Amino acid sequence: MSYLIKNNTKDEILGLNRRNQEYIRPYNSRSAKSLADDKIWTKKILAKNGIQTPEVFKIIRSKQQLNHLDWSSLPKSFVIKPNKGTGGHGILVFYGKKKGLEEWIRPSGKTMTKKDLILHIENILEGRFSMGDRKDSAIIEARIQNDPLLKKYSYRGVPDIRIIVFNGVPVMAMLRFPTKRSDGKANLHAGAICTGIDIGTGITTYSMLGNYTSPISDTYILVDTTSDLEENLPLSGIQIPNWDDILEIAVKCQEASNLGYAGIDIALDAEKGPMVFELNARPGLGIQVANQAGLRRRLERVKGLKVKGIKHGIRLAKELFGGEIEDEIEAISGRQVVSIVEEIKVYHKDWSPNVKKKKKLFEVLKAYMDTGFQTSRIDKGLANRIGLDESLNSFYKLDAPSSFESFTEAQEFIEKNDSILSTDENIVRLAKLLEDGKIRVRPVLKVNIKISKEVKNVEMIVSTRQEMTYPVVLGREDLKGYLIDTTKTF
Amino acid sequence: MEALILSESTQWIVNHGIPLQMLEILVMIPIIATLVSIARYLVGFKTFGIYASIILGISYSFTGLRYGLTLTILVILTTLLSHNILKKIRMHYITRIAINYCLLILVLIGFFILVNEFGLGLENIENINPLAIVSITALSDFFIKIYVKKSFKNTLRALLETLLVATFGWFIITRDNASTFLLNNLWLIALLVAINLSIGQFKGLRLFDSSRFKSIITKKDELPDQK
Repeated sequence: MSYLIKNNTKDEILGLNRRNQEYIRPYNSRSAKSLADDKIWTKKILAKNGIQTPEVFKIIRSKQQLNHLDWSSLPKSFVIKPNKGTGGHGILVFYGKKKGLEEWIRPSGKTMTKKDLILHIENILEGRFSMGDRKDSAIIEARIQNDPLLKKYSYRGVPDIRIIVFNGVPVMAMLRFPTKRSDGKANLHAGAICTGIDIGTGITTYSMLGNYTSPISDTYILVDTTSDLEENLPLSGIQIPNWDDILEIAVKCQEASNLGYAGIDIALDAEKGPMVFELNARPGLGIQVANQAGLRRRLERVKGLKVKGIKHGIRLAKELFGGEIEDEIEAISGRQVVSIVEEIKVYHKDWSPNVKKKKKLFEVLKAYMDTGFQTSRIDKGLANRIGLDESLNSFYKLDAPSSFESFTEAQEFIEKNDSILSTDENIVRLAKLLEDGKIRVRPVLKVNIKISKEVKNVEMIVSTRQEMTYPVVLGREDLKGYLIDTTKTF
Repeated sequence: MEALILSESTQWIVNHGIPLQMLEILVMIPIIATLVSIARYLVGFKTFGIYASIILGISYSFTGLRYGLTLTILVILTTLLSHNILKKIRMHYITRIAINYCLLILVLIGFFILVNEFGLGLENIENINPLAIVSITALSDFFIKIYVKKSFKNTLRALLETLLVATFGWFIITRDNASTFLLNNLWLIALLVAINLSIGQFKGLRLFDSSRFKSIITKKDELPDQK
């Protein structure tokens, strides 16, 4: 498949030098950075601001505390983390406990004994996984209950959402799925799949993996689907639930942490909803590849803007960086996005694409997308107006009963009257259908419409229903190749 | 060494009690440091940092490149081996490193004996400054510190980058013309300051950034015309 790669000039890409000099140094103060580097402190500050983080069971700051730890007080599943760890190092996840034993089960199925855990925590305390060589503390906290939607895409582990927030505006986002290679971790460098997210809608776009065969520098390969699950699924077009809430949490975190330029990691808990995993004072740059977009261009558009509050920041983000999704999805899946109520043109019978006529031969109207129908519907009045009145009259001459006892009876009526098809060129067939609880026969007409810049000749059942809110309803037959965006209406 | 004709200022420094050989080594420190900063901010090398590169570059100038690199590889292989064996035994981090050094020294002694007996194309240890050997051995620590936190690939990459910079440093030190020129033109240190000042302000893409983001960068001449 071919990707429609967006045009990014070199100047639109953010590199490490500029990230450090123009964004991290001026916008992330030393105190804000040390807050982000300290998970326990972060939890406290976020809790004060009403933001959820995984519940803490125990904090172990010294060997003494480790010796006195009451292991039986821990729940069956939990996570051990270094307080100041980086890149997912030193994090152990436990799914359960062996009955009657002091042994806990890892995602891979392997078990670890209490002795193993104590040694691991000792290593954490000695600073083995922490930035620099400082002494560290260990956190034992609740394991996230995977959201069922995102669980389908992950190889064990919990996927998370990384959102880069700058100056109160969420500028770029990606979803990270753990893979077999990443051993349940959601870090790009560990081998997770990273999927770009359209800020406007929360729908996923491009996906990539680190290319491990490249010896010199980090390079990436674009992928379409998950790769090591029993059933591999396409990664683009996933609608992330509660997207607006997630954006709001991300902006709140940036405000609360005082980081001017922050990477916020959020996981979705099946029961408790969005949970903030950690704040990043030096978020990585790979996110640009997952979104096929340059971060520098976006950051510069946001720099210096007066953002009046959280909602304003989110609105700005959606206006500035959202909406690019539609073309992108089209590029990825060959599909176009239509709204649930979309403005379409319906052409008069006499209209033809090649002949120019002075008279206006079309009507612009709102059509409703309804995948519950196979065939599209057109209102009787509209059919009359576009010059199909004669065809309707010839159908009425058949004097069809207003309803039939059974579908067999309706079918018999259709077969008896199929001569109408040869006498009226606009009637394609007669259709039997269930309308308002009654079996009826209706004519199916050929109509030219224009939807999303494309002219199509479609079949429509004439509806005589009194209450059609929309004069045209498009059914599955004519929605092939479109994605319906339920968040937008005209 | 032939008698060098020294510039006035350099002669003045030598006359004030600083041996020429020491001056030669001291001058190398800012040179290698600048190499590291160029490699980091213009190319994108991670390396093991400035210290490891300086120490290695200067050590190689004592041991010779062939001997130095052989020792380096020996140190890294032994470290990897001992680390992976010791991983299976539960113990504290520092004790693990200490045991690693014990094994390392045994391997080195064995190696020196082999060199003495069979030559192996290498010079005898007697002619080499022991401090150079100690410095190379200390690389084990740099390596393991990164190795326990980052992936093997990343560690290996940083190692190769460090060796590349150190080798480049060794190359400059061992060119007599270059070092004589440096000794006679100590104002070059001011130039190094200026170079670092300007690299310090550089915000453009590193060479590795460019290759990392090559797939999403469209070259200017490939861009569609702006309408």
